[in-house]
Formats: sequence, C-alpha cells, structure tokens
Amino acid sequence: MAEGEKRRRFSNLRSVLWRVDLGILPASPEASVEEHRRAAADSRRRYVTLRRRLLVDPHVPKDESRSSDLVVDNPLSQNPDSSWGRFFKGAELEKTVDQDLSRLYPEDGSYFQTPACQAMLRRILLMWCLQHPEYGYRQGMHELLAPLVYVLQVDIDELSQVRKLHEDCFNDDFDGVPFLDTDMVFSYKPRKDPKWNLGYDDEYNSERSSKINTLDELDSDTKEIILLSDAYGAEGELGIVLSERFMEHDAYSMFDGLMDGGSGMVHMAEFFSPSSVGSSSNLPPVIEASSALYHLLSIVEPTLHNHFIELKVEPQWFALRWLRVLFGREFCLNDLLVVWDKVFACSNNMLLSSDEEYNFRILCSARGAFIAAMAVSMLLHIRSSLLATEIDIFCLQRLLNFPTNIDVQKLIEKATSLQSIAIEANTSFSSFLLKRDSCEYDRVHSNRATSTPPRTPLHPLSESYWEEKWRNVHKDGTTPKESEKGDSFSKQLKKSLTQRLGLSRTESDPSPVKVLSVKNDTRNSVRRCLLNTLSDDLERSNEVAGKIQQDEFPIGSVHREPPMSSAEPSKLKAAGENATVSPLCVAKVNPLKNYVVEPAHENATQRTKCIAESCSSGENSPVFYAASSGNEPENSQGIDSESSSVTSNSCAGDHDKDEILKDESSNSNDDSKTIQDSEAAFSDKSPDQDETSERAVVSNERKPFISKLQWLLKLGRPSVEGNMEKSSGETSDDKQGVDASHSPPSDGNSNNSRGSVKLASGDKKVMGTLKNLGQNMLENIQVIESAFQQDRGQPGPVENFSNNILGGKGQVTAMAALTELRKISNLLSEM
Amino acid sequence: MVLVLALGDLHVPHRAADMPAKFKSMLVPGKIQHIICTGNLCIKEVHDYLKSLCPDLHITRGEYDEDARYPETKTLTIGQFKLGLCHGHQVVPWGDLDSLAMLQRQLDVDILVTGHTHQFKAYKHEGGVVINPGSATGAYSSITYDVNPSFVLMDIDGLRVVVYVYELIDGEVKVDKIDFKKTATMHS
Repeated sequence: MAEGEKRRRFSNLRSVLWRVDLGILPASPEASVEEHRRAAADSRRRYVTLRRRLLVDPHVPKDESRSSDLVVDNPLSQNPDSSWGRFFKGAELEKTVDQDLSRLYPEDGSYFQTPACQAMLRRILLMWCLQHPEYGYRQGMHELLAPLVYVLQVDIDELSQVRKLHEDCFNDDFDGVPFLDTDMVFSYKPRKDPKWNLGYDDEYNSERSSKINTLDELDSDTKEIILLSDAYGAEGELGIVLSERFMEHDAYSMFDGLMDGGSGMVHMAEFFSPSSVGSSSNLPPVIEASSALYHLLSIVEPTLHNHFIELKVEPQWFALRWLRVLFGREFCLNDLLVVWDKVFACSNNMLLSSDEEYNFRILCSARGAFIAAMAVSMLLHIRSSLLATEIDIFCLQRLLNFPTNIDVQKLIEKATSLQSIAIEANTSFSSFLLKRDSCEYDRVHSNRATSTPPRTPLHPLSESYWEEKWRNVHKDGTTPKESEKGDSFSKQLKKSLTQRLGLSRTESDPSPVKVLSVKNDTRNSVRRCLLNTLSDDLERSNEVAGKIQQDEFPIGSVHREPPMSSAEPSKLKAAGENATVSPLCVAKVNPLKNYVVEPAHENATQRTKCIAESCSSGENSPVFYAASSGNEPENSQGIDSESSSVTSNSCAGDHDKDEILKDESSNSNDDSKTIQDSEAAFSDKSPDQDETSERAVVSNERKPFISKLQWLLKLGRPSVEGNMEKSSGETSDDKQGVDASHSPPSDGNSNNSRGSVKLASGDKKVMGTLKNLGQNMLENIQVIESAFQQDRGQPGPVENFSNNILGGKGQVTAMAALTELRKISNLLSEM
Repeated sequence: MVLVLALGDLHVPHRAADMPAKFKSMLVPGKIQHIICTGNLCIKEVHDYLKSLCPDLHITRGEYDEDARYPETKTLTIGQFKLGLCHGHQVVPWGDLDSLAMLQRQLDVDILVTGHTHQFKAYKHEGGVVINPGSATGAYSSITYDVNPSFVLMDIDGLRVVVYVYELIDGEVKVDKIDFKKTATMHS
C-alpha cells in the first residue's frame, strides 16, 4: 500500500487511524488492506457474540433450557444468574446510562441526541459495563464514547462523499465489455467523469484492456478508502472497514480499546475505579495520576505548584474531570479530536523494564506521559490567572472553566515538549518533592515541610516565604523547563535557608531589629520580585545584611572608624570585592552609628540596632528607589558590574561588614585604619561631615554616589571606605538641601575611589555578591529609616553634625543616607 | 415487559400473621409495575406494605376488609390487555367458572382475577383468562382447610402474557408458568 510521505497513513480517516492506534487494526504501517479488513471483521464478530450473550431477552426461551428450573428463572428470582436477574441488572444500568446520555453534547448536536444514536450509545455502554462488572457504569464513560462514534460517523460521511465522487468504482457491473464505447449507450449510471470507464478494483479487471481506468489513477487516499470499503474484498461486507452498518461494533471496539488500554499502561477504565488496585501506591489510580500531574508541575513550574500548595488546591479536584474524560469537557469537539489524535498517536507500551521502580503508573507509557504533559501545559496556559488569585475557590473556578478560545496546537506542542520530562520524572527520585505517603494531605504538607524545614521554627511568617516566592518568580523568568530545576531549586533553597539560619543565630538583639528586618525584608522581597533580577546571591546578601544587623560590630564603639577601617581592609583583602564592601559598610555604619545612635537610642546595643536598622532600611530604600527611579539604569549601566558591587558594598556596607566581620574580625582594626587614612586623604571633610554629607547625598545624588563608589572600587580598597563615607556624607548633605558644595567634592572623591576600586576587581561573581550586599544594605537602611521616621523631627542643618546632636537632624540625615543607600542598592540590583 | 403482581386473601391479622418469609424476600420494590389485589387484606398495614412494593396498587373489597372504600369490581388496561378485578364472594357459586365467565363478559375484560376460594386456579376460557391467585398467606378458608400460600405474577408483553405461579409447598417455593396469547379475535 502506498504511504503518505511524512504523514501517517489514514491521516484523513480518523476512525481508521484511531483504530490502528488503539490496537484494533494492525498497527504496522505496511499492513495491507486485507489485513485491515480481517482485523475489522474479527473485532465485529467479537462484538456480536458479546451482544448476543449479554443482551438477553428473558422471554426468548433458551433452546436447551426449555425445561429450566423455573424457580431460578422466574422474574422474581433473586438468583443473579437467572436471565431475569441479568435482565433487571441491565435495566438498571440502562437507566443510569440514560441519565447521562440525555445530557450528552446537547450543544453540539443534533447528532448525539437523535434516538438512533442514543440507542446505539446506550447499547455499547451497556455491553461494556456488563462485560466489565468490576467497573460498572460511571459518569464520564459516555463522554469518552461519544467522540469515537463521532469520528466514525465523520468517516462514513467522508466515504459517502467519495462514493458519490467516484461512483463508478463502487458499482457492480461486471459486463466484461470494454466500456469505452458502450458506456454511452448502455450505462444508466450517472458518471461524474466521463473519462473514467468504470474503473474497477484490480482484482476484477486485471484482464481488462488498458483503456479502462483503474483505481491506480486515483490518489492513494481515495484509493485506500475505496479498497477499504469494497464489498467484495476480504471478508466481504463484514470487512468493510468504514461501514455504517457496523458502526456500533467499531465504536464498541474502539471504546474497549481505549478503556482497556490494549496491553499498555494507560487504562482509562482504572481512572473510573475507586479502588486502589492497579496503582503503585495505595491511592486510587486517578488520585495517583493527579499527583503525577502535580509532580510534573512542580518540576516544570515550581511557582504554580507552590501556589497550589499554598492554597491547598488538591490536584484531583480538577484533574479528575480532565483525566476521566481525557479533556473532553475542556475543549470543544473539534479541538478535542485534535488532542486525541496526539494522545492516541503516542504508544501505550510500558517504557520501563519490569523491575524498574517508578513513581507514577500513569507516566510509565508515552501516552500517559503525554496526557500528564497536556494537563500541565493547560495549567501553564492559565498560569497567570491562577497565580493572581489567592482564594482556592476562584482558582478552582478558573481551572474548571478552561478558556475556550485557545490555540490547541500550541498546547499540544508544549505538551510534547513536556512529555519527555514527564517520562524522566517518573524514574527520578527527587527527594525534595516526592513523598509517597498514602495520605494525599500528608504528602502535600510534607512537601511543604521538606522544602522549608528551617523556615518555620525561626521565621514563622514571611521572610523566607517571600524569598522563596521571589526566587520562584525569578526562576520563572529564566528556564521553567529544566528538569533538574527541582533539585537545584531545593539546593538553593537549602543554602539560602542555612545562610539565613546562620544569620539569625548571630543576632545579638533579636527582637526589635528582627521585627524591623522582617518587615523590611518583606518589603524588600516584594521589591525584589518586582525587580526580578537576583539570584541566591541576593539572599546571601540579605543574610549578610541580617548578620550585619545583628552582629555587634566588632567595631563596637561609635567612633571606631579605625577599627572599622581595619576591618575593611582585611575584608577587602580577604574577600575581594566583598572586602571593599565591608569597609564601605563599616564606614557607613560608623557615620550612621554616630548619627543614629544618640537621638534614637541610648545604649550601644541599640546603636547597633539602629545602625542595622538604618542599614536595612537604607538598603530597602535604594531598592525601592531603584524600582521607582528611572535614573538608576543609566547609572548602573554606566557603572561596571564592579562598581555596582562597589555601590552595593557601600550601601550594604553594614551587611557586608557583618559578613566579613564574622569571617575575619582579627584584622579589622588594622585595615580600617589604613582605609581611614586613605579616606582621609581623599576626603576634605571630617569623617563626621562625610557621614552627614553622605546622608544628604544619599537621597539626592544617586548618580554621583554610585560613581563615587565606582571610583572607590577603582582606586582600591583603602579608598573605598573613605569614599563611602564621603559619599554618604554628601548624600546626607544633599538631602537636607545643604552643603551641596560638600557633596560634589566628596562625590568626586568617592567617584575616584570608586573608579579605582572598580578597576581593581572584575569578578562578576563578586559583583553579584556585592549586589546582594547592596540589597542587604538597602534593607538595613530601610530599617533605619523606618526607625527614624518614628521620631522625625525637624531637619536641621547638616553642619550640626556631631555625635551628640541628632535629634531630628540626625534622623533626617540618617534618612538621607538611607535613601542614598537605597539608590545604591537599586543600582546594584539592576546590575 | 410489564410485571403485574396478583394476590389476595391475606386475612391479616385475623387468620394469618403475615406472608411467608420466602415470599416476602422475593417481593422487592422496583421490579413490579402493578399490583392487583383481590381483597381481604384486611387491615391498613397490609395495604401500606403493598403500596411500598409498588405505587400502582388496585384493590377490590373483600367481605372482611376493614376499609370500606374499596370498590366491588375494578377494570384496568395494561399494555394490550384489559384486566378485571373482583373479590369473588359476590359471584355465586363461589369459584364456578361459568359464573366467573359471566362476570368477565360483564366487565368486558381479557383477564379476570378473582379470589375468595384461597385456591389457585387459572383457566383459559372463551378467549379470556380467569385467574385465581389463591391466598398469599395460606389463610384458611370456609371452603378448604388445606391452603398453600400462593400468588401470581403476570408478565404482560405485547400480545402475550406469561403467568408465573408461585406456591409455597412444604416450605419450598415452587414456580410454574403458563403462557397465554391474545389473538385478535380473542375478545368478543
């Protein structure tokens, strides 16, 4: 038989194609028409014997049982074997089936609601349910059957079209006379094409002269149709593959093939069974398949998966309908046929060897994997609207009312791409996500638990949640299809969590700072989500920030610039950019400390806190500013990654410092001293002034500040701190609208230093860390800001900075510094 | 495929306590479409029980029935057949075929169901069928003492009726079947 070049054979005859796919007709592409006919005939014979056996009329006396025991065979007999018993059982089934059939595709059709069609459907369903009493009739089976009947009907219509078109090929004239000249005289049949002379099947006109056109002249598809429907081919009428008379038989065979899955893995029937027989876990198969769906979703799209888990949306709520009816209720009939084409095209054979372990039975075959992948692709299609809702009921509503104006081909393509992931997922054991408990709830919750074990004890609420959420969002944007995402995700999560743990452990004074940091973190994380730029580094920077917050700076005293600077250089040396950051942070902390501490809090611990707060809040504000400002991109772009890291260093100075301080507290003093010296060299103000100016500048002069930081980097570590301080001082100055003159020079200085520092380091990774640090710094800055805002007094002149002043002034300056820090961190994040 | 249950003369509680358990186990709701009862239930509880088996219940008055509202005779059409119902104590001599045939002609029915004799009888007579379902509880009668519980189930299917007789003999349910076909000229 001729084959289509690329497309499958019978691709225009869906019913035949599906019968091939479902195992009724021979699957080999080279199978001849004869084989097809014989297979069709066999399946029909099977059906007829089944029907005769099952559809019993108790009135018709069985031949051998004329004298059968009436005690058994009376209508009231309780005996289930009696014909009456079976009759009544059938009657009950019929009633149930009718309930469903009356509601079958009312919109689509005049076809499905016709009595003839309904009777046929009823009989088929009855037969199948009687044949498979362990399943019985379940709602939904009729929806699986209906499209099968539909495609059969369509093909028969197609056949009649062909018949009309090529009438000559179908008729029975065997005159044996060449028709070329006698046609006009003797033929009564209307012919569409007078060129043809009643072409016949090869079998019958092999001896004909070549004048007579044969079937070969028709295109292969039409030829095939004709041969398949030839009443005189193999098996005679019973073998006509497309036959209206045997539509019921064919539909039954297709339905049976679909439900039993041939010898393959996906039995649609088991989706209807409530028992857990036949599933690898203790769950009913459909529940297990739904969880397979979720498993695949968690690999492909962790955001959505976690969202579902947050809302406690169980997969089977919507997946039950999807799976049982094979998406029949989600797509319109024509779309559904396209989907089923693909589903059936996938083979149903078991892909794994018999002793291999697998997670989900449904994923063991290509067909099942495709079904799962299709479901996931549908979920992804409405992903945005699902993520938008926070109420599970609305989520479910969206899921159960799948949009109708969709491009099915796209969904199918996506599903095909996900199919391989599904198959992989079946055998991989992602410990992160897969817990095979018998209780679905436990599994859902344990998923949650395993994914976030350290979270809950320490931060009951939002911190890590938001972080993870941010991370999810971030991952979303990148590569949702990596199958190892889950593992990497879990690793990252664990890493960040441990970092955060380490962070919290270092908290010296947990409560107020923590509260603030929590608050700020939530704000931060939200902003980060908005920014959507960061990676784990960010968290690390957060942690660092936290650490910085919490650490009692070994710097300790307010005025400990030298120690800080000593710390800084050590860190600089030790951790490349980080070192620069830390000194910057330290420097930053110093001024902030100076200002912040006195007015707001009295004791040293509180100072630290304040600083921490300021750092965090400051960090937060830059983040915020980064989000809101349009200038940042310019700055950040202009700035190298190094510089951004520098800025982050400066902004997140506190955090970085903390981190670095944690690591190396020994050298801090020395380093800070040197840094201070260099700083002094650059700065033309007192450190205090710098600090104030820094603050002032923070708010207004993001660009110069950032450029300062760049310079800092370029010029080398020792300069960093000084620049930082300068810049911070400048920013604070600017914020107050005073001492603008201060800022430029200091800015310039810091720029220089920044530039140098920038040159010094080119490590992108470090930049990343710096970014994180910057973010952390922002957070801290925000904390500080928030702390300040509480006692915001009147802004005083910048020059009044001294360690003792600072009522409102100090706060204002601190706020300025914080805002500047925010900007910095924004820049960093952008970079 | 209409199943019609015909029974009567239960005489509960005066002469019998209840239907035999084996009969009761066979009579489950949902299978039977009509119940025709010749009478002498006698109390309302029996009426309610029969009603629970099938909502379509037809009863004629027997001489011991406590509900006086039951009619003396009743006719109904099921499928192609016309059924007539009467208790039978009105027809004298009791159980006489010719007299019952008179009643049948009077009611103009194909199938006449009467009771009162507590004995199962089924006649094909003059194109019609006369059926006596006997006593469902086996209550003693003034005519006979040896009464076997029995009742009748009619399966009306188009022009054919199959009569199944259920009798409790020696503690065992015995079933018998009689076929009647209505011919076009049967009813004159």
